[in-house]
Amino acid sequence: MTKNELWEKIKHSIIDGNKVDAVALAQEAVDLKVDLTEVIESGYVPGIQKVGDMWENGEYFLPELITSAECMKAAMDILQPEMEKIHIKAHTQGRVIIGTITGDIHDIGKNLVSSLLSANGFDVIDLGADVKLEDFIQTAQDREADLICVSALLTTTMLGQRRLIELLREQELYDRFKIMVGGAPVNRQWAQDIGAHGYAENAMTAVKAAKDLL
Amino acid sequence: MARLPVTTLRDFAFPISERRILHRIGYKSRTAKVNPSVIEIIDEHRQRLEALLQPAALFRILDHADTNQHPIFEGALQVALCVCTIGPDLERTSAEFITNNDILKGFVLDAFGSEAAEEVARQADAAIVKAARNMGLWPSKRFSPGYGIWDIKEQKYIFATLPAADIGIKLTESCMMIPRKSVSFRINFYTEKEQTTRSFR
Repeated sequence: MTKNELWEKIKHSIIDGNKVDAVALAQEAVDLKVDLTEVIESGYVPGIQKVGDMWENGEYFLPELITSAECMKAAMDILQPEMEKIHIKAHTQGRVIIGTITGDIHDIGKNLVSSLLSANGFDVIDLGADVKLEDFIQTAQDREADLICVSALLTTTMLGQRRLIELLREQELYDRFKIMVGGAPVNRQWAQDIGAHGYAENAMTAVKAAKDLL
Repeated sequence: MARLPVTTLRDFAFPISERRILHRIGYKSRTAKVNPSVIEIIDEHRQRLEALLQPAALFRILDHADTNQHPIFEGALQVALCVCTIGPDLERTSAEFITNNDILKGFVLDAFGSEAAEEVARQADAAIVKAARNMGLWPSKRFSPGYGIWDIKEQKYIFATLPAADIGIKLTESCMMIPRKSVSFRINFYTEKEQTTRSFR
């Protein structure tokens, strides 16, 4: 099998949401001692990009995106340890801290955003739900994040998004990170009003918004 | 009559159609081409659904004078307060799927949970409507704290009035219910049909 044939097979494993193939091909690439950075950049990344395009064109829906994200993660679980063994870091789109705001225990939407960002090459640190404002800020500083993503599902808890940005301003950290907000009651106007750099209506637009911001 | 005793309901049916799940997980259009693996997951979850649900609802009917006099109750002769849940097992299982990189399975199961919680609320609502009509009164639609002028903090009043812990629901400091797949609401009972926007067949 030529490299190009391998890239095509990998790409299609992601597009088709075939986790068995995505994992087997990752292992095959490791066994063949192919440059794993190239495997990711030429096989897996074009696959997930195509999936995003198909979603934008209305050919794919959220379940297909999720399935492809699962495939990406399963393949990366094979590739990344091998890359670490030889001290190669996979190219990342940026480091993201993500969580649901303090007082809010809803996390299914946040989990989807987290998975899709990760599948699309972001280094994601998921803090979970009911995350204290201080923990967002401290982790973003400690882990040198590029982007902080804050989810809220209620009109009461979305106020925490504004408070987080106020805290970042008070601590003169506002310009250090990009901030993206989302969640059922959140809209673009709210994001602008509170000074968030980005807003995402759903999991897939979160990926595009994150790419645009970084 | 001031305060009727608490009524507990535990017998619920879950006629959740495939279409409802598909709509909730993103296939908004009926003509959308659905991935066969999604249908397989829906069928798989349907088999396990009963074992994952511990549905329960409890409600109490109060005289208006015995409520906390919130403006939302104005004009009602009586008020029914209700909490209901599907229990914690489904959301725990959904989280386990997601943790194990079976994200789609977790997501679809969460959708089943949301639909099941809505079913419990709908059937509890029907029981309360029946109670209202048996009393010769006209029930309003159901409303939950967090809508309109009924602040989410009014959850505290509901939980002070109902023994929600008896069916395993507790309230967080920020007035969220645990298990998450729980619903709380009130229905006002009016003396005149014209006072309610609920439609009656």
